[in-house]
Amino acid sequence: MALEFDILLQVLFWGLYAGCIYILLATGLNLIFGVMKIVNFAHGELLMLGAYITATVFALSGLNPYAIILLTMIVLGLIGIVIERLCFRPILGTGKLNEIFLSLGLIYVFQNGVALIWGDERQVLNSPYQTVTVPVGAIQLPLDYIIIIIFTVLILCGLYLLLRKTDLGRAIRATSQNRKGAMIVGIDVERMDMICFGIGSGLAAAAGTLWVVSGQVFNPYIGSIPAIKAFSIIILGGLGSIPGAIVGGLLYGIAENGAAYFLGGIWKDSISFLILIIVLIFRPTGLFGESRE
Amino acid sequence: MQVQKKSLSWYLTPIALAIAVLLPLLAGMRYFILNVVIIMLIFILFSSAWNFLAYSGQASLGHAAFFGIGGYVSTLIARATGFSPFATILAGGCVAAGIGLLLGLTCVRLKEWFLAMVTFGFAVILQVVIASPLAATTGGWDGIGSPRLLPIEIPGYMLYEYYVILAVTVLSIVCIHLILRSRAGLAFAAIRENEVEAQAAGINPVSWKLLAFTVSSFLTGVAGALMVHHITFISPEIFHAETSFWPIIYSIFGGLGTISGPVIGTVILTVIWEVLKGFGLTYERFIVIGLLLIIVVIFLPRGLVSLPEVLRERFARRKG
Repeated sequence: MALEFDILLQVLFWGLYAGCIYILLATGLNLIFGVMKIVNFAHGELLMLGAYITATVFALSGLNPYAIILLTMIVLGLIGIVIERLCFRPILGTGKLNEIFLSLGLIYVFQNGVALIWGDERQVLNSPYQTVTVPVGAIQLPLDYIIIIIFTVLILCGLYLLLRKTDLGRAIRATSQNRKGAMIVGIDVERMDMICFGIGSGLAAAAGTLWVVSGQVFNPYIGSIPAIKAFSIIILGGLGSIPGAIVGGLLYGIAENGAAYFLGGIWKDSISFLILIIVLIFRPTGLFGESRE
Repeated sequence: MQVQKKSLSWYLTPIALAIAVLLPLLAGMRYFILNVVIIMLIFILFSSAWNFLAYSGQASLGHAAFFGIGGYVSTLIARATGFSPFATILAGGCVAAGIGLLLGLTCVRLKEWFLAMVTFGFAVILQVVIASPLAATTGGWDGIGSPRLLPIEIPGYMLYEYYVILAVTVLSIVCIHLILRSRAGLAFAAIRENEVEAQAAGINPVSWKLLAFTVSSFLTGVAGALMVHHITFISPEIFHAETSFWPIIYSIFGGLGTISGPVIGTVILTVIWEVLKGFGLTYERFIVIGLLLIIVVIFLPRGLVSLPEVLRERFARRKG
């Protein structure tokens, strides 16, 4: 009995760690969706790019990989702004699905661009704390996973403070609540689009850094599935709701690791979509979403 | 403008058909070219089927599911019973249509991104189901061999195969054309533009959407079965997201919601693809396709078919 409890705890903990990646991706997507009402399906490609940048900087400088996270976030934030200006702003307000089609193009460009530069072999980065574990009760938790969870919490707290306590945050929230109203009171909504896209990309980059640092293999194709799952998380949690994204992210992380443990690794990806389909059959607007039309 | 446009396609359609019929004679019996053209034809059918669903306002991101179902059902029946693939292809299409109807039922209340996610997820789930619990029948990840459409002993079987697939594709496009020209087409367009208003006008969106889903998945299943019998092999890789993305890319590139769009998109992108391949490029091919897609979505939202019109308008504006 005690053993089973330990296993359950372990699965929960892995789920928490996996959930962190999803939460970072989903929060970024949600922030962008809030102001622009579009979805960047190529969001996972930013995670992948973040992973490669972290690995490259680590290989060149030998810094502690956790120290690189800020640099990666800034670089990807700038790349995100460029993407927003060149690709998403021109199609804002056109057909509702255009951003999906555009993202498909971006996915191809990014994946193969990275494959061209770094090759498409699977790579692993060895964290300095690879072998360090922290005993909690009867189980051993890898230190890396604990650091990752702490980092995610810190980033989310930072985002919360930014959105709640600063003028910029107020402007972002106003834009996402009512774009026209925000324009009337003098908010430069296009600037908000740009900033949110930058922040969202930065969050994806943070997810990418945490991905490589935790010793997961990476190649140019790792991004698509987490991004699509992150998107299904925000559908599940209600479009534009950041608490929904956090709850959904944790739920997915735990459900996936539970499924991988109890049903076999092959079910890892499908369990999340199964949850999504079942929820949407009964609640077509998501768990916390309200129907606006 | 309308008359001119109509007459243009009026002339171009027979020319395109004539080229399609004469192509094997022009290209000779070179296996390589025939193979490329056959796969292109199958993707024209696949893209047209996807585009048909998109016409009713439902953009699926998981049409690989029906492509694969058609392929697996047709292969498994043909292997088990020894029937000719000609008969089993229809069975593949019918099973795909049935499953499409069921998926359509879960999707009728969903819109845009929600629908996209559910269809995408469906393909992911199906891949796992085929690869793992059904591995005993489907061969799991290793896949299984599939019988040829025509026995390899027939001299010039590739040529016949080409004409069979050409006939199926042309017939399907004619059917799509007839459906879209009938009341159904009007109903689809009305639902796509505004579901509530369509309902107010006495159109029942649910049944029309289901019809679109069923027909589209039937044609996709047929395309999948043709593909599998052509390459004589099927594995769960067929459910990969990329299989779902190609028909979307082709349709967007050619022109969403038009009959000729998927055809033109598939032909032009296949030619670009093969030419780039000829130069020995691998990743660059994908980058080129991705960039082309982005450029078309931003600057030519109605696809290549609208290019003459857009140019004419721009020219007229500059003159006036």
